[in-house]
Amino acid sequence: MQVNKVIKTGESGRNVSEKRALLLTALLFLSPVALAQQADEGGSDQGWGDDSWAEETPTSNWHGFIEGGLGNRLNADPALNDRFSPVDDATLSELRLRLETTGFVGNDRYAFKADLYADGVDQGVRADLREASYTLTPIERTDLKLGQQVLTWGTGDLLFLNDLFPKDWQSFFAGRDTEYLKAPVLAAKASYYGDSASLDLVWMPDYTSDRYINGERFSWFSPQAGQNVAAPAGRIDAEEPANSFSNGEFAARLSGTVDSTEWALYGYRGFQKQPNALDSVGNPVFTRLNVLGASVRGNLGSGLANAEVALHMAEDNDGSDPYKPNSQFRFLIGYERELVPKLTLGLQYYLEQTLDYEALNAASPSPYNPEEYRYLYTTRLNYRMWQDNLVWSVFAFYSPSDDDYYLRPSVSYRYSDTLSFDLGANVFGGDKAHTFFGQFEDASNLYGRVRYAF
Amino acid sequence: MIKQLFTTFVAGLALTGSAQLYAADLTDVNEIVKQANLAAYYQGEDGRSEARMLIEDSQGRKQQRQFTILRRDYEDGGDQQFLVAFSRPADVRDTVFLVEKHAGTDDDRWLYLPGLDLVKRISAGDKRTSFVGSNYFYEDVSGRNPEEDTHQLIETTEAFYVLDNAPKDPNSVEFARYRVWIDKVNMLPMKIEYSDVSDKLYRRVEVLETETVQGIPTVTKSRVSDLVSGASTTMEFRFIRYDLGMDSSVFTERSLRNPPRQWLKRPE
Repeated sequence: MQVNKVIKTGESGRNVSEKRALLLTALLFLSPVALAQQADEGGSDQGWGDDSWAEETPTSNWHGFIEGGLGNRLNADPALNDRFSPVDDATLSELRLRLETTGFVGNDRYAFKADLYADGVDQGVRADLREASYTLTPIERTDLKLGQQVLTWGTGDLLFLNDLFPKDWQSFFAGRDTEYLKAPVLAAKASYYGDSASLDLVWMPDYTSDRYINGERFSWFSPQAGQNVAAPAGRIDAEEPANSFSNGEFAARLSGTVDSTEWALYGYRGFQKQPNALDSVGNPVFTRLNVLGASVRGNLGSGLANAEVALHMAEDNDGSDPYKPNSQFRFLIGYERELVPKLTLGLQYYLEQTLDYEALNAASPSPYNPEEYRYLYTTRLNYRMWQDNLVWSVFAFYSPSDDDYYLRPSVSYRYSDTLSFDLGANVFGGDKAHTFFGQFEDASNLYGRVRYAF
Repeated sequence: MIKQLFTTFVAGLALTGSAQLYAADLTDVNEIVKQANLAAYYQGEDGRSEARMLIEDSQGRKQQRQFTILRRDYEDGGDQQFLVAFSRPADVRDTVFLVEKHAGTDDDRWLYLPGLDLVKRISAGDKRTSFVGSNYFYEDVSGRNPEEDTHQLIETTEAFYVLDNAPKDPNSVEFARYRVWIDKVNMLPMKIEYSDVSDKLYRRVEVLETETVQGIPTVTKSRVSDLVSGASTTMEFRFIRYDLGMDSSVFTERSLRNPPRQWLKRPE
């Protein structure tokens, strides 16, 4: 159910700057003054605007937001410049409508959440079904959640070892709300809540990849070309595994808490989430992947510590095929605490060890091979001001083994219950053209978003 | 003569019937603090309430929060469990907050963010920072451990016990002392005023309305005022029920992802 790909209008020939002007007009319409007035009207019931006690379920249970977002590259990307007019360095240019509702049928809960957005970068109107789920309790202590849903587990902060649910890296790099890092998936999730442990079993019948960097919005480093490439020639259009029961994805977690320390064991059977292998004729493909892992999280001193390990068992189990990813051992350790009131610091160390490294080097002595021990540090600093209405944040990835980095500074301002502003940047850099973050140097961008929630 | 006797008898009955009303004033400050803590934060074995807050900043701009709060006590004066499910505004709708409150050590806190399906654990941190953007602190909502302060009974008026309190660890909090007025009848703290190191009054928490719910005196409306900026938050509670018989399993990750409708829905 790749709903985001479904709707695409045939207006690629239309002038891009015209669309930009439309977007800007829409943003102006959503000016603070106009919205503030709207919000303040009808100040009966001591400023509540309505009698919110009156009924448990308000007459309209539909909510959502309208959001306008613009983002631009800090530097032109030569790999992408052939595609549009030279002025078009946009990384985000959209007007988005979110509609959502939840409710109950007896004690069963349903939830619906969908986005419709006009995208000036991809040039089209798109829909994204974020959630269409039904949760029931067929037997005691057991919840069953069926349908399109977002799924998350694991202890990392923006690092994923055992969470193999689909991510949306295009949205993440373009400066959309963090919510969009997680892509929805059609799944059946059964959760059993026991006294000493809980068990989650997830079946995703139709394999769903990440929304990976495919050369459309951002270029990527091609080892074959020895440089960054982008659409149309460099567009990755990998075919997903055929739809069958054995090609479905299965994920499991057994978890519990002992004296405020949470533990979990994880398993996954499916495919790599990105097409990082090549078939015999050089087409990008998804190879099989099985994962086993574990995590702990608990209080340490005045902060919170977490550790997680995962063994990624790849299809190329002896590592001798240079066109398929090797198995990996992944390790994470993190610590978070409040330094002073309202200022929170989070630190993580993350290691990705490529197994059977000798075999990989013997089969392909490419200068673009990954480091055997790729490791990185992350730092998160969050500072809240003005009664939490203004939040400064910076998240930094820095990898000494790859000599590259990724900085995510942002400031969020909540003007009112309905209106909020976000300003931020995604800054990539590195010494080498091919490394994980280094390849996205020309994707570095600055973005701003205005959201009106209702 | 008979009439006089009768009057005395009735008066005597009234006296017996509400012994606490006319009981001798308490003089042990620790007993007063203990009873006030129980009256304010440990009503019944468990409880549920709907709450709404109106936050007004110094420029008069208003924000709202609405949520349902479930509470269960392990033991009076001891550990507690809280589940707070938000229904508005839009950006926090369906967000759920879970707290395992430990009387002796730091609390365990989790926040469920529905957009990401993320169960985020929150480091213990400062409990004297804003509760969901309001002028209330986390500690105002879940209670401050009486052991963290020294207490002194400075006055017993007709209606109140007036206590001065100072933190044992002054570096852990923003106040230098606070004065609290405890209602002598229902033992609820009715007003708390916080002063800083220069003895300047900068914050006030006051009870505006109380009701008796299932025989338990309960705060139904209160306000926090930031006396420096002029900002304030008014909180109201309704649809309060005690002793529902919730067990510990209501306060687990299950309830974060799938809020317990049985207890959250408004009682009939």
